[in-house]
Amino acid sequence: MRTPGLRTAVAVAGAALLARRALRRRIEDSPLWPLPALDPPTSGRPRSRALRLLVTAHRTVADGVVQLRLAGERLPTWEPGAHLDVVLPSGLVRQYSLCGDPADTSSYTIAARLVAGGRGGSRELHEQVVEGMELEVRGPRNRFPLVAADSYVFVAGGIGITPILPMLRAVPDGVEWRLLYCGRTRASMPFLTELAGDERVTVVAEDTDGRPDLGALPVPAGAAVYCCGPEGLTAAVEERFPAVRLERFAPLADTGEDRPFELELRRSGRTLTVAADTSVLAAVRAELPDTPYSCAQGFCGTCQQRVLEGEVAHRDELLTDTERADSMLICVSRARSGRLVLDM
Amino acid sequence: MSNKSPRPVECGHVPLQARNVSFAWEDTPLHWVPGDPFATHTINVLHMLLPAGERWFVHVYKQVLPLIRDERLRADVVGFIGQEAVHSQAHDEVLPHLRKLGLDPTPYTAQVDWFFEKLLGDRTLPPGRARRWWLLERVALIAAIEHYTAFLGDWVLNAGELDRRGADPTMLDLLRWHGAEEVEHRSVAFDLFLHVDGGYARRVRTWATAFTAIVFLWQRGARFFMANDPTLHEGRARLRDFHIAGRRGTLPTTGAMLRSVPRYLSRGYHPSQEGSTAQALAYLASSPAASAAEREGR
Repeated sequence: MRTPGLRTAVAVAGAALLARRALRRRIEDSPLWPLPALDPPTSGRPRSRALRLLVTAHRTVADGVVQLRLAGERLPTWEPGAHLDVVLPSGLVRQYSLCGDPADTSSYTIAARLVAGGRGGSRELHEQVVEGMELEVRGPRNRFPLVAADSYVFVAGGIGITPILPMLRAVPDGVEWRLLYCGRTRASMPFLTELAGDERVTVVAEDTDGRPDLGALPVPAGAAVYCCGPEGLTAAVEERFPAVRLERFAPLADTGEDRPFELELRRSGRTLTVAADTSVLAAVRAELPDTPYSCAQGFCGTCQQRVLEGEVAHRDELLTDTERADSMLICVSRARSGRLVLDM
Repeated sequence: MSNKSPRPVECGHVPLQARNVSFAWEDTPLHWVPGDPFATHTINVLHMLLPAGERWFVHVYKQVLPLIRDERLRADVVGFIGQEAVHSQAHDEVLPHLRKLGLDPTPYTAQVDWFFEKLLGDRTLPPGRARRWWLLERVALIAAIEHYTAFLGDWVLNAGELDRRGADPTMLDLLRWHGAEEVEHRSVAFDLFLHVDGGYARRVRTWATAFTAIVFLWQRGARFFMANDPTLHEGRARLRDFHIAGRRGTLPTTGAMLRSVPRYLSRGYHPSQEGSTAQALAYLASSPAASAAEREGR
């Protein structure tokens, strides 16, 4: 063997050295070379994140009503009508409307009434949560947004004042609004002092004034009607003003019966009926067995589908308000009206 | 040259179900392995790779459902998809916290997003053979990646050194909940690959791609974090640090990583031979996040 390698080896080693130096210089110039970046990026923008907040105030603001101040840093902003999911010490999750100032990014304020014989969440918030304790919350999320209108009529029943209160402050100057605020007794109605003296507010306490007369409520044409309160009140208001925007105390899943509705799958050209006791997912899978899904409880997001027509009663705990505008999780959500059209 | 012979060694079948966990990051410090920025950041690379990576797993698996002819495997894949979706969300929620601590990962994660959404995305292929080939190729890639996620899951479940060094409990719970679910569902991706294709040539080819990509992205992520950590002056990530951390027990050892290579390439390989389902389920029963999810019935 003559020295076939020597010259080649020197050449290869030299080339390798040069390549290495060039590469190193290139990386020093721009350490993340050469991958392109996705524009706009998707990661790092979670839909919501859990926050651990410090309870800095826990005080009784009316008979059976406590108000909590939850402090944190650079909290996500919110719009009037938004609520928080609060994880109570036992692990129960309950929703509470935000009733503080939306401009305050260092704390959230919520208020809750003690419900005798309720599902336990309010008792826990009243009796086991104390100042200095940390609570985990998720959100805020808004299922009750304030839309632009010529004027507003608000109807609040008892603790239902909480989402309404920031709305009153957010109504633009010069736009008229009225508030009918009902409760059992004046002592049990929170935030009366803040509302006192405003001639746009009518306070009706059942023990002295009797039941509120919804018929006497003047509602100008073009007015948006908002109502938050117990089932009896929301039902009465809905009967009188069918276009009312409602916020119920209990999640929809626990009130009102599930009703059957018609479901059109436009892309595959099928129309089916979703029975009262089946989910959209189950109905769709009977027709299209390869429909993706997984958790079937409304948190993993696999079964998200585009909604083409119809109003959706969202019952998931994942989608953002923007996503809810044109999509749904078919494992838990249903139609609000008699018909739904999906792009599948 | 297909290879459909290996049988699982454990026959106890666990139905897979996603767990709706949540983690609050306020109290987690930047160096959550106290005094060890290199180990912290090397593990932190997971938070940058997994949100986009596991979203991509879900995206690919949604398309493969029509190819599955076995009901039990289909149920496993369905459970797998939900677990991966929740993993992706959980790691994604760490990123705003890193940004708050002064270490914005976006320059790197935007590239990882491009990598999975564009380079490994659906591509402009007509319906038919080319599309199917690319789908099967990605299914095989996922099987190879899952070999390493199961390896890491098993490692973190047994990494007692992290506890001894006082690592942040929330971060450890995230990693171990995730690791335990990776061990729990470690056979699904490989079984799916065997079911839809199983070719040995494809297994080797996709392993080589996946391994190269993982090493490339990981070392780059660790260097990115070390260089941009606001508390470090001229922070660097060197291969030597990796060997040292491995010996200390705060990262997997280089030897264990190398030994896992021939195992995946062996014709008798089945993921059920790696890790322990019993240990994973025991951790999930005691994990603060997983048991909170269990209590709420979510």
